[in-house]
Amino acid sequence: MNGIVVGNTLRTSWKQILYWGLGLGILGLYIDFIAMSPDIISGYAELFKSMPPAMLQAFGASDIALFTSAEGWIVTIFVSEAAIFLSVFAVLAGLNISANDEQSGVMDVILSLPISRSAYLLERWIGYALIGLGIVLLCALITVAGLIGMNIDAPRDVILKSILNLYPGTLLVMTVTCLLATTLRRRAVAIGAAAAFVVVSYIFNVIGASASGAVADLMETVSYFSYIHGEAFVIGTYDPIDSVVILVAILVGFAVSLKMFVSRDIGV
Amino acid sequence: MASESVLEISGLSKTYGAGKKQTLALNRLDLSVHRGEIFGYLGPNGAGKTTTIRLLLDLIRPSSGSARIFGLDTRADSVEIHRRIGFLPGELSLWEGRTGEQIIHYVASVRGDTRGIAKHAGELAEQLDLDTSKRVRDLSSGNKRKLGLVIAMMHSPELLILDEPTGGLDPLVQQTFHDMMDDYRAKGRTVFLSSHVLSEVQAICDRVGILRDGELKAVESVEKITNVEFNWVDVTFRDAVPAGLQRQLESLPTITNISTNGTRVRMRMVGDFDPLLRAISSGYVEMLHVEEPSLEEIFLAFYSGDEEKTK
Repeated sequence: MNGIVVGNTLRTSWKQILYWGLGLGILGLYIDFIAMSPDIISGYAELFKSMPPAMLQAFGASDIALFTSAEGWIVTIFVSEAAIFLSVFAVLAGLNISANDEQSGVMDVILSLPISRSAYLLERWIGYALIGLGIVLLCALITVAGLIGMNIDAPRDVILKSILNLYPGTLLVMTVTCLLATTLRRRAVAIGAAAAFVVVSYIFNVIGASASGAVADLMETVSYFSYIHGEAFVIGTYDPIDSVVILVAILVGFAVSLKMFVSRDIGV
Repeated sequence: MASESVLEISGLSKTYGAGKKQTLALNRLDLSVHRGEIFGYLGPNGAGKTTTIRLLLDLIRPSSGSARIFGLDTRADSVEIHRRIGFLPGELSLWEGRTGEQIIHYVASVRGDTRGIAKHAGELAEQLDLDTSKRVRDLSSGNKRKLGLVIAMMHSPELLILDEPTGGLDPLVQQTFHDMMDDYRAKGRTVFLSSHVLSEVQAICDRVGILRDGELKAVESVEKITNVEFNWVDVTFRDAVPAGLQRQLESLPTITNISTNGTRVRMRMVGDFDPLLRAISSGYVEMLHVEEPSLEEIFLAFYSGDEEKTK
């Protein structure tokens, strides 16, 4: 492993940082802009009050009181929406790690070069992990810059941390997609399975958080969305264990991916 | 030619699928290729040529058996082997949005010698008349093939593995390719190439292995395998086929497999044309078409015991 593949991945895909980072950054600016007007936020709060609790959960908030502050509004709305967009990026990135090259036949050329399958997969994963980091950093910086530029009174560190906390979840979805692609072999099947993972995880989180009982708790526990809620940073309940759980899941998922990729036929 | 083996395949088998859908793609292949030779791996489509090559490159894993290249195991030592070989896939796919130069630079950097390899790549591209500044998506299939050849050869590998290397190349470039292969052999390097084009194999190979339905039927020198001399002859008469011609042709020992379709007579012929020309002179011959046998037919003639009849 010499970093050549990482460098090549960054060279060919760095523009994704711009496209996704700027896109999400503009979304952040828009949400910042709304935060300038307490009337609009309280209007949204009234709207959510008239809706079932699950709707509030769908936006990643457990308490309507979050909408009484600018940071509560920004973190709740932006993080929940960005989490969905980043999941889409993560699925696409996970497919780019190996599935797309395998499907197109480029993998035959790559694996005829003096690089082991495991080194290749790891370097591709690192490449896309860095691109994901770039996206999260760029959108976080733009959103925080918006706070400064619009002179919004909100703790910037809280907003920065809550956005950066999206990164482990993004890596998890990317790794799960990579695992599905290396296991299922067919790109189309992997896309379907990865999309199902994201959607089911989202639904589990919404249902799990708005209902009570053992099943609901379990649903919330297995949903990765429940580990990346931004509100924890606002109300001070963030537990680093949540990030550790995701990190462990990433390591296990990637280890299984490696094993599958190394041991099976390529392009069959 | 030295007899040191560069490539040793022993009992190599590959099965795809499972249960009722199981397909035996390669059956107990034993083969060795010597240093400094150009070995042609011949067979019709679906014979198992590409499967063999993919096994050698460790892209797929054998169901049984093993293969060694430079004395190294193709599974355990694949990275070291790949350092010393060049490969051109039969269906070449490259990064569509990148230029030839970018791809060459990337592959050279993975090989660990950007400057030296890229310089040689430039020489090869010039030899093949390839513009490497174009994006892959803008290249014709022939030019993509040329780029694939440059990538396979640019680090001067000890062993070249080429799957149907000249598909899509125009005749002039094919000749250049043949010359390049001659140079390669002259430098003591080895080439293992698969093909279903007999003329290509005749032109450049020293030995050939003939594969059919996943089984290696024979390994022979090119001279011997292509010395099965027969042709298919089509004679089209302007009017009807002359009366008694069928009987007359059947009496000729050099003519077999006679079939008539309207005013056209098709037959398999060995040896001189004179007896045939005398036989058909009783009619007005509108057209005479002579067709070389296909690889499969030569193979069948050679190995079904027909060779004695046909020589």
